[in-house]
Amino acid sequence: MINTVSSKIKNISTLQYKEKKFEYWGPTPDEARKKMVEKSHAQKDKRVTLKEAVATHIKDGINLGIGGFVNTRVPVAIIHEIIRHGARDLTLSFQSNSICPELLAGAMILDPDRVSIRRVELAWWGYEIIGIAPLVRYLSTNGIIEMDDYTNYGMSVRFKAAAMGIPFIPVRDHGGSDMELVNRGKMIECPFTGKNVYLLPACHPDVGIVHTTAADMYGNARIFGAHCTCPEIAMAATTTIMTTEKIISTENIRSYPNLTEIPYPVVDTVTEQPYGSYPGASYGYYWFDMDHLRMFRSLCDDFRKTGNKEGLKKYYDEYIFSCDTYDDFLEKVGYKTLKKLKDLDGGQSIILT
Amino acid sequence: MSEYTPFEMIAYTGSRVLEDERIVFVGTGLPIIAAMHAQLTHAPNLYMIYEAGSLAPILEMGMPLSVGDTRAARKACYLKGLCGAFELTQRGCADYAFIGGAQVDMYGNICSTIEGSNYDKPGIRFPGSGGAGAMAANCEKTIAIMALEKRRFVKKLDFVTSIGFGDGSPDYREKAGVMGSGPYRVITNQALFGFDEETKRMTLLEVKPGRTPQDIQDLVDFELIIPPDVKEMAEPTDEDLRLLRDVIDAEGYFLKRVIKK
Repeated sequence: MINTVSSKIKNISTLQYKEKKFEYWGPTPDEARKKMVEKSHAQKDKRVTLKEAVATHIKDGINLGIGGFVNTRVPVAIIHEIIRHGARDLTLSFQSNSICPELLAGAMILDPDRVSIRRVELAWWGYEIIGIAPLVRYLSTNGIIEMDDYTNYGMSVRFKAAAMGIPFIPVRDHGGSDMELVNRGKMIECPFTGKNVYLLPACHPDVGIVHTTAADMYGNARIFGAHCTCPEIAMAATTTIMTTEKIISTENIRSYPNLTEIPYPVVDTVTEQPYGSYPGASYGYYWFDMDHLRMFRSLCDDFRKTGNKEGLKKYYDEYIFSCDTYDDFLEKVGYKTLKKLKDLDGGQSIILT
Repeated sequence: MSEYTPFEMIAYTGSRVLEDERIVFVGTGLPIIAAMHAQLTHAPNLYMIYEAGSLAPILEMGMPLSVGDTRAARKACYLKGLCGAFELTQRGCADYAFIGGAQVDMYGNICSTIEGSNYDKPGIRFPGSGGAGAMAANCEKTIAIMALEKRRFVKKLDFVTSIGFGDGSPDYREKAGVMGSGPYRVITNQALFGFDEETKRMTLLEVKPGRTPQDIQDLVDFELIIPPDVKEMAEPTDEDLRLLRDVIDAEGYFLKRVIKK
């Protein structure tokens, strides 16, 4: 018998909230297990164009798990393709992110019939040094999207629980904060120690999107620099779309199998996309483009402050809708900018052999 | 002595609070600067952990502009992801949490999620917990950096994002299932605060030279504990300012910010 308890925190803040009835916001653990079992586990060439990957796997109503961390190794190329393709009624899941959810939010503001976000399970949505994220502020304060708040560890370990094939995981945070009240975790009495411990439900995205340092054509992937939560998201999702800076040979993967952070069975498509995280950073390749992030953010902030969508619309027309592929976007960004960002990375060490 | 800015005073005070031979879980901006200053002065064997996954990096490419900056991973001795960083913390390896927020109360609870009480339609939505809630739960000691203003030092938070001492009851943190010992210091540019062992209430420890304890109380909406032996805050020397300005934040990303009125 498990006792559900509470740390009785209701009088500490002025918080008012609606109780959420528990449900998984994506596939249940059983559904996720079934989908993984049903997949072919062969090593086969999974290289496709991003257009094909997105057209095949992105559907209305899915839970989209977004990899990277704030401005680092964020899957921007995949997000651009999702916006061109369209996806409505999305649930987003991530720990901390900047431009990926903002791009989706901007697309929603411009045309909710093309892209719309219904709810977000997250720890943090912002740009760090560059500023707050204007569009989450707009959507949340107007009650347009539902939020479900966790810590960065909470979201990361929810993906990890899903990656481990378990339905929940005990953690030592969230308890005693208002996240205990508003999110879908539960405080219980530990059946072993008798003390209170907080449980978080596993988070299985329908589709996980990640950008990696290098991968072979089967999806065995290496990640250098911080892993963020990319291995866990890829393994938690029932479908994983991966872009990678460079496709390397399986022989190289097999030379150093310890370096594989994402194993091939959990990956559905692989697309080589250099600069696939731009304007975010990818360790060993390029640093983040603060000017571009600032420019996009200021267009979003103009909309938030004035309600005028013109600047945003121009950005999307110029950089997303008038581009057939991400390479077309990179061509507009230009060689000199990309070269400067490569220099700013300073040649951090990565192993491709 | 040279003039110094409020941000420089906060960074310097942050550095003073950190002891050597410890691990500090840093947040973006002033915490990184404070930890770098401590490493360069009194705490050469102090190490940083960054939530994106890096432990004890050597920041030879310059100050990381955020905790997810690829530069924060430079020459780390252990580099995984968020789970790795927070699990080391949950295990007890992170001695200090360095966090900030929009509001703090007398028990050191901090809000960085919303302003306005309605979670489903708040007045302002902040970015959210990020790592702060987990750091405040499970780093051994929590250090908060706050702007000293009445609207931030409040009687009641709009939302508890990072747990402090809760309602001040002695077993609050244990009941919450968290493991760190809780709030340790609150740093502002005009005062340094600690917490009373018995009542868990915020206590004035030091004030900036020229300020009185009453000046500080006037900027705080709840009643501070003001002991008779409040000290003066130490001020950064010319050498400290040289390190902060020319070595650590040479491009002025954080220290040269203009405070918005």
